Amino acid sequence: MLEVKNLTKVYEDGTVALRDLSFEVQDGEFLVIIGLSGAGKSTLLRCINRLIEPTEGQIIWNGVDVTTVSSEQLREIRRQIGMIFQHFNLVKRSSVLTNILSGRLGYVNPWASLVNRFPAEDHQRAMQALERLGITDQAHKRADELSGGQQQRVGVARALMQEPKMILADEPVASLDPVLAHSILSHLERLNQEDGITILCTLHYLDLIQRYATRVIGLRDGELVYRGSREDIRRMTDEEFKEIYGEEAERVSAGLTDNVPSRALSEVEGVTEVPSDGGV
Amino acid sequence: MADKRYVEEVSVQPSLVPPLLAGLLSLVVPGLGQILARQARRGLLLLACLVSSAGLLAWRMSEAARREVGALNIFRKAVSKEPLLAALTVGVVVLWLWIAWDGVQQARPGRRAGAGIFGLVILLFFALGWQIVEIDLVKLATEFDDALPAMSKVLWPWERAFIREERVLMAVADIEVPCSDHPPPSPEEVTGQPYVVAEPTCGELSYQDESYKMVPGTPLTLRGRGFDPNTETEIWWRDSMNNEFRIRQEGEYLKTVTDGEGAFALKVIMPYRLIPPSAAEGPMLHQIQARQVSEVGGLQPSAELKLAIEKMVETIFLGLIATLFGIVLAVPVSFLAARNLMSASRITMAIYYLVRTLLNIVRSIEPLIWAIIAVLWVGLGPFAGVIALTVHSIAALGKLYSESIESIDPGPIEAVMATGANRLQTIMYAVVPQVLPPFISFTIYRWDINVRMSTIIGAVGGGGIGFLLIQWIRLLDYRAAGIAVWFIAITVAVLDYVSAEVRERFV
Repeated sequence: MLEVKNLTKVYEDGTVALRDLSFEVQDGEFLVIIGLSGAGKSTLLRCINRLIEPTEGQIIWNGVDVTTVSSEQLREIRRQIGMIFQHFNLVKRSSVLTNILSGRLGYVNPWASLVNRFPAEDHQRAMQALERLGITDQAHKRADELSGGQQQRVGVARALMQEPKMILADEPVASLDPVLAHSILSHLERLNQEDGITILCTLHYLDLIQRYATRVIGLRDGELVYRGSREDIRRMTDEEFKEIYGEEAERVSAGLTDNVPSRALSEVEGVTEVPSDGGV
Repeated sequence: MADKRYVEEVSVQPSLVPPLLAGLLSLVVPGLGQILARQARRGLLLLACLVSSAGLLAWRMSEAARREVGALNIFRKAVSKEPLLAALTVGVVVLWLWIAWDGVQQARPGRRAGAGIFGLVILLFFALGWQIVEIDLVKLATEFDDALPAMSKVLWPWERAFIREERVLMAVADIEVPCSDHPPPSPEEVTGQPYVVAEPTCGELSYQDESYKMVPGTPLTLRGRGFDPNTETEIWWRDSMNNEFRIRQEGEYLKTVTDGEGAFALKVIMPYRLIPPSAAEGPMLHQIQARQVSEVGGLQPSAELKLAIEKMVETIFLGLIATLFGIVLAVPVSFLAARNLMSASRITMAIYYLVRTLLNIVRSIEPLIWAIIAVLWVGLGPFAGVIALTVHSIAALGKLYSESIESIDPGPIEAVMATGANRLQTIMYAVVPQVLPPFISFTIYRWDINVRMSTIIGAVGGGGIGFLLIQWIRLLDYRAAGIAVWFIAITVAVLDYVSAEVRERFV
């Protein structure tokens, strides 16, 4: 279980990114965080595994306060928390396999890993992850030879290699087209349902949120302005959605009325359900 | 923007003085008319142009007529010596008058800012520049011949690069100077060996009388036998101090061709030789020599060619070792000089600024100067060159490396850190793969530079082929210098090609 208590982050230039934020995440949730760009979503996710140092407050992960642990303990916590990024953050010149294996860095012997040696079971694990995400034949290509959707699947595979209890997904589908967005999110959903991995995910589109989220929190200017259950989201209208987003929502929600073309979706492997009732 | 407002303002406000007065004022004090016509910037600029061009002209005139005293004398001498200075004088006067006319124009209502006057200014400055750097196209054309022999030797030095082994067939006969009571006997003849006999075997050398007129020495009849038939034979002289030289008669080297039996006979006037009085006491023995030189065997590399090859190899390795040391030392330095890795705390930022400053200072000192310092330190030779190039390589590579570290994508670092990797693992997995290709590219580029530099480093004693090149140029041995130049050119071309190929493969 993750508890965030009175979390505040003030950057050195005085920008207040997060303001006295408190919420809980139960194990097995698919929590979606919404909010405009700059609302503090990315900062929040990065504070949880301390890629960004919080200024004040506590982050309690399974009873341990992440904000006070030693660097050794922090690495142990980090390896239980996978992370997926908007721009995939793969090492472009390394092979797909190396990128995926780097997910094991928190587990393996650090000296062996420096010369790129991983135990045989890690290689096996990597092949399983590749298979699970349907990119087995890409294993030996360079990461930048892959398409965006494939790269994000490598990103998911890398997170999976950590055998995570939780995955932080920072706008995982923002650089992908709607079809690929569904593909990636349904992979995450399966990890959530089959493996019981808690997912914290930032998303922008109401139809995706309604389709995948089990709970939603909304941020505006670093403050928590909305908490909604699965039912609340299902009932949510475009107008309410705009409320959370604030005045500038017009432009952001412009794409919401367009439903994903169902024919294109059905062609994508791994997409089982087309959200025809989503959107407005 | 303040200027713009100012210009708009003056274009509205009328001149303070009538046009004619403005012109007259500008004639007396160039630019004053324009200033009073509310064109202060233009007036001051024109004044500055006139003063500086007139000043430069005065300086050039005094340079051209150093010994003259008095302005008029200097002017007359300089103008007669260099017509360009006369033209420049006219130009400066025209500029003055034009400034006055410009004053009239600027003071008129509805004036325009003409740019033609600045065209004249630019022209004047170019002409001054032409004069100052002593451009002499005539010399360029007429004295081309002087450069031709050296140039052709440098461009095609290969006859100096290869030699054939020579076999010299020689016979000698002693000559006594001056004649004593017992002149030396003719040498004994050995059958099958070349043999010469002089008649007589003593006499007087040629000498110069009081009026420096050459008085010919004793004529000798030289007969030879047992040489190669029908072959050119050179006549040499060895004086009492064992200096050997070919005898010249009427400006030509003395030579003859043997007959079908290998025999010859010719007249030799004993040559002019200035013997110091201390070495010329009493009768001295000189020697007359007949030589047949023939080339035998195939072409062989000359000593110069061998030396050039040795030094070229030395040069390439000099560059290679300097690059290697440069890499080894620049890599750690570059991490300290990368802002994105060092921005964690105040202390690391202080290190960053310190390292950056040091790199900039070291880099701004040319390798040539480092070589001079290194020569003082470890003495002449390639080691000094290695030190000089290493120092400069560290600074140059350190900067290039650190900049490529600064330009890496921070995303993968974040991602790898999020997996629970430690600092070293993060560098290995997220930083190194990103910086390796630019590192390799910069390194090969640097190697390229270092080898080219090492040819120059030699000039100040840093070893390598440059040392040889400078030495040969100073000895006016242009052919040997040409060999060095060719080797440098070939090496640089090959290296260029190789480095381009390798870089293409890695980047």
